[in-house]
Amino acid sequence: MRRFLFFGWLAVVAGALSVASCIRADISGNTPRDNFEALWQIIDQQYCFLTYKRQAYGLDWDEVHTRYADRITGNMTSQALFEVLSDLANELRDGHVNLSSSMGTSQYREWFDSYPRNFSDTIRSHYLKKDYVLSSAMMYQVLENNIGYIYVGSFASGLGDGNLTQALNRLAVCDGLIVDVRSNGGGDLTTAEKLAARFTNEKVLVGYICHKTGPGHDDFSEPAPMYVEPAVGMRWQKPVVVLTNRRSYSATNYFVNAMKQFDRVTVVGDTTGGGSGLPFTSELPNGWSIRFSACPMFDAQMNQLEFGIEPDVKVDMTAADMAQGKDTMIERACEILKN
Amino acid sequence: MLALLLGGFRLQAQEADSGQVSRIVVRSLMAGGGWANVLDTYLSPLEYTGGGARIVFESMQNTRWRQGRWKVQHQVQLQYAYTKNPSGSADMHAGLLTYSYALLYKFPMAGRLQVLAGPMLDVNGGVVYNQRNSNNPAQAKAYGGLGASGMLAYRFHIGRYPLLLRYQAQLPLLGVMFSPEYGASYYEMFSLGHGSGSVRFTSLHNRPSLRQLLTLDMPIGTGILRVGYLCDLQQAKVNGLKTHHYSHDFLLGFVRHLYLLKGKRHFNLDAKDHPF
Repeated sequence: MRRFLFFGWLAVVAGALSVASCIRADISGNTPRDNFEALWQIIDQQYCFLTYKRQAYGLDWDEVHTRYADRITGNMTSQALFEVLSDLANELRDGHVNLSSSMGTSQYREWFDSYPRNFSDTIRSHYLKKDYVLSSAMMYQVLENNIGYIYVGSFASGLGDGNLTQALNRLAVCDGLIVDVRSNGGGDLTTAEKLAARFTNEKVLVGYICHKTGPGHDDFSEPAPMYVEPAVGMRWQKPVVVLTNRRSYSATNYFVNAMKQFDRVTVVGDTTGGGSGLPFTSELPNGWSIRFSACPMFDAQMNQLEFGIEPDVKVDMTAADMAQGKDTMIERACEILKN
Repeated sequence: MLALLLGGFRLQAQEADSGQVSRIVVRSLMAGGGWANVLDTYLSPLEYTGGGARIVFESMQNTRWRQGRWKVQHQVQLQYAYTKNPSGSADMHAGLLTYSYALLYKFPMAGRLQVLAGPMLDVNGGVVYNQRNSNNPAQAKAYGGLGASGMLAYRFHIGRYPLLLRYQAQLPLLGVMFSPEYGASYYEMFSLGHGSGSVRFTSLHNRPSLRQLLTLDMPIGTGILRVGYLCDLQQAKVNGLKTHHYSHDFLLGFVRHLYLLKGKRHFNLDAKDHPF
């Protein structure tokens, strides 16, 4: 009987211990203020550029809380709350920060809207003509001056090894190659890396990545190196120009940074849009999702890439060229490759 | 010395007596479903709730150790939960496969109540998948370690109908757990191979979990029907990430008694050489 009592007591203690130490969610409630606090806290604890942006443009996340808390009322509509929280998210000046609800998706657009577009698909079609090859995410053509031209509009869909090999084989007779990633908003880093791997014959350190190790603004892991290793199979051995504009963003930013580390590669065009934080997704109690930058990436010298990569040769599309159906950047790229 | 000799004689006598009882295997298979609550702050700060299903296979038999008082128990559990966030705007799938191996000592007790307790080894593997997330869509679950297991078995009758009520608790004590660091991406861990610090030591301080199973065995014809209720409270706080998977499942299944000697097919719930 004593043993029975002992084990019975043990079971009760174990149960009580378990219940008493329940690990539950920190976020609860679903009022406008609860949702505001949840969004602020998610960014406060998980966003990866708070310290950097404090240095870059004076972002004070505590001050942001104070300022926006005054705009929250208990009886505000969902639409009004969405507008306030969208403004709050836009304080981060980050294209990777998006608040999504049935009312829409917030987006910070200054990173491209405040700059020349520097791209026209109508003008690009003058170069691609009608007999271009569409293969995977690529469109390619041999230009009239024997320069190869590949347009990659997205890294969101995969690039097949066979497609890449075939494209480079077909363009192998050209004197040089233009890889146009203007208005490529990104996608998968692995896809961008797969394309970059066609342009190096050796393993190259292209940057670093780290991640948060805790909720503090400066809780980061040791930066870990990122390498691009040469692709097995067909690799390009002639000069390359990479064309960029402000809408070259996210994984494309990573691609441009990688290409910039290689010999024979010249980056031409406008500064890229940036977006060097690998985004994570979270959510608010009302079900709205929030995407935010979680893991910062740096270049090979540990410089931040969040606000873009400057080209080796700065070129903007000119109105005169555009009026003639000419793409100033492609024309300049051809000049560089021909010389 | 006299006590030792007496003890030795007594042990020998019991061993001889238990020579036949070590060959019984009790196997059961139960399936059912219930309610689940899933939290994984790597994926979402919110608790997701919904329904779940579970299959439990159990095998238990006597060993030859300590006159057959040590029993070995194998349990395999497969569980799945489909849950939604509080607003119903996102859903999460959680699946977990658990194997546990327990050595249970049956304390010598007179009467209908039997008490068993001993060490346990459990291994768990699974995944939690949030359909809406971008670079953090899923969380791999891999953990295990040593723990304690206790069992109470009570035999009683309603009229002449024999019944066996059993309660079992499993409490993990020490182990290891895979967990990404607070904000580490699976891209960094697996595509780049930077996975250091992802396997952590666990104990009651960061993995206070408890699995409890209550079953009632009822003979029906030549078989035994088992109904059960399983309260599974798995939780952890590792690398600053909170996770829990609470579930309450109602189970139904059958029990088979296997006797490893030829010619003995049926077994009685009231048998003295029953493992519990």
